Amino acid sequence: MLHGREHAAGPARVPERAAVRAPARVLPLAKARRVATPWLFMLPALLIYLGFLVYPVVSSLALSLLRWDGLSADRAFVGLGNYQEILFNDPVARIALRNNIVWMVATVLIPTALGLLLAVALNQKLPGRNFFRSAIYAPGVLPLVAVGLIWSWLYNPTFGLVNQVLEWVGLGRFASGWLGSPETALGAVIVTGIWQRTGFPMLLYLAGLQAIPNEQYEAARIDGAGRWETFRAITLPWLRPMHVIVVALGVIEAVKVFDLIYSMTNGGPAWSTQTLATWMYFNMFQYFNIGYGSALAWVIAVISIAFAIPYIRSMVRR
Amino acid sequence: MSVTTIGAGRTARRRRLNGWDALVFAALCGFVLLWLAPFVSVVFTSLRSRADLAMNGVYSLPQGIVLENFVRAWDVGGFGTYFGNSLLVTLTKVPLGIAVAALAAYPLAKLRFRFDTPVFIFFLIGLAIPIHVALVPLFTTMRQIGWLNSLPSLYPPYIAFGLPFQILVLRGFFDQIPDEVVSAARVDGASEFEIFWRIVLPLSLPVLATLFIIDALHTWNELLIALVMLSSERLRTVPLGLLNFQGQYSSDFTLFNAGILIAILPILLLYITMQRYVVSGLTAGALKE
Repeated sequence: MLHGREHAAGPARVPERAAVRAPARVLPLAKARRVATPWLFMLPALLIYLGFLVYPVVSSLALSLLRWDGLSADRAFVGLGNYQEILFNDPVARIALRNNIVWMVATVLIPTALGLLLAVALNQKLPGRNFFRSAIYAPGVLPLVAVGLIWSWLYNPTFGLVNQVLEWVGLGRFASGWLGSPETALGAVIVTGIWQRTGFPMLLYLAGLQAIPNEQYEAARIDGAGRWETFRAITLPWLRPMHVIVVALGVIEAVKVFDLIYSMTNGGPAWSTQTLATWMYFNMFQYFNIGYGSALAWVIAVISIAFAIPYIRSMVRR
Repeated sequence: MSVTTIGAGRTARRRRLNGWDALVFAALCGFVLLWLAPFVSVVFTSLRSRADLAMNGVYSLPQGIVLENFVRAWDVGGFGTYFGNSLLVTLTKVPLGIAVAALAAYPLAKLRFRFDTPVFIFFLIGLAIPIHVALVPLFTTMRQIGWLNSLPSLYPPYIAFGLPFQILVLRGFFDQIPDEVVSAARVDGASEFEIFWRIVLPLSLPVLATLFIIDALHTWNELLIALVMLSSERLRTVPLGLLNFQGQYSSDFTLFNAGILIAILPILLLYITMQRYVVSGLTAGALKE
């Protein structure tokens, strides 16, 4: 459809170019066409973006100021009441906030450090390094639900690999039903998250390491710098732009965490693994606290936006 | 696999005897063995009979290879339906979304017009917004237009939330196509759409492929929107189907693991055969290069 319209615009180009030399003879039609062209190109994107991103986002901000079950006519404006409830009164939201912070620290720090270590190791010419790289990243391509189910099996009290390994190394007395107990469930899901996420920082750091000029290392070698000194004085500083990206993307992922929790523990046992996103989902679609759920969603959004801005700025600057 | 890598390691070590490299190599071997253990656990369980599992547990070689688990998991799990739905959505939505993004990115990169920068920033804002905040209004909209509980309900949110990133990447790429190429075509009387279609897009095939890979993975693996929009069994995508499978069969251990393996095998095989593209695509995407 668009093609036909644009095609018809073809012949009109000739007078338009003549118009550059003689501004007095600008054809109004040609001018209208030139003004309209960019907007016609952007029309489908603008419509979808406005209808299914901008409108829902703005509308949910309004919803977050209401107390409403989503169906009945009984909706009350409560202002920032929902936010107050989340931050000060709701014990589950408090658990969720705390869990999100723990999750964030663990699944950003550990995969980042581990990914950096692996990238430096795999940046050398080692036999089988392509195999190592793809094996380490493999969990990253799977649906998170599948990752969750694989690890539910590993945590199986009777047959799971985790307890089996503990028994093999003589720590059998620590075997437990990892996902079934409030003390260990969050940690167990976090380990799963680390397994799933470590490959990505590794890939990014490997790309970053490619950009370090070899002369830097040669100069260091001539100066007699050791491995650790070279790493600290050259590798780390050169990777600084990459740290920003790795950490920002990690935090944005972490604040949204939903799939792994939903598929492994469903927020339990005893709310011990609730996160902002699962608690939001429960409120929206199981308890029908639409306003409260929307406020929880906006707490997620605010944290995510705060960390996305430096990342976006670094992307645009390139 | 481990045999060949160890063999390769030995020859390399003979070539340049370096204690440090050998140490790093050994550490990596250990690490990767640990890293792949979850897959081994799933494979070993799914190949056993129930009696074999009860007798010998998971971590010994299976008594015999039993494929019956896979046949049963495929039948009772309904994986054919899930694969069909996910494949349909991925193969149609991903090209559609990228086409919409490319159309929008072209004037932002190659045409001067009023408000071009504000429009670009307007699209970029979406990059920071998690889809969580849109769930309820999207649900309501879909109910109003009667698309709720149908596969088409996935398309608008997926496309809308994919646009910011794709427009950013495509605009960056289109920007690097020399302006002379475009203006030469304009002098020859080509319309803007012809320039876009015949010149700019063919020059952008690498970046389009990159975006395709990233978006296909995201679409295939997406849970939250699908969970909210779809309720019928026959509409389930792979992640939804897996959740349902877990709900029904997680205590039938051999069957359960066969189901997991069925669900992840296609994507793992695709990843192994195309890993170079997947890896470079994902890296380039995050870094926008």
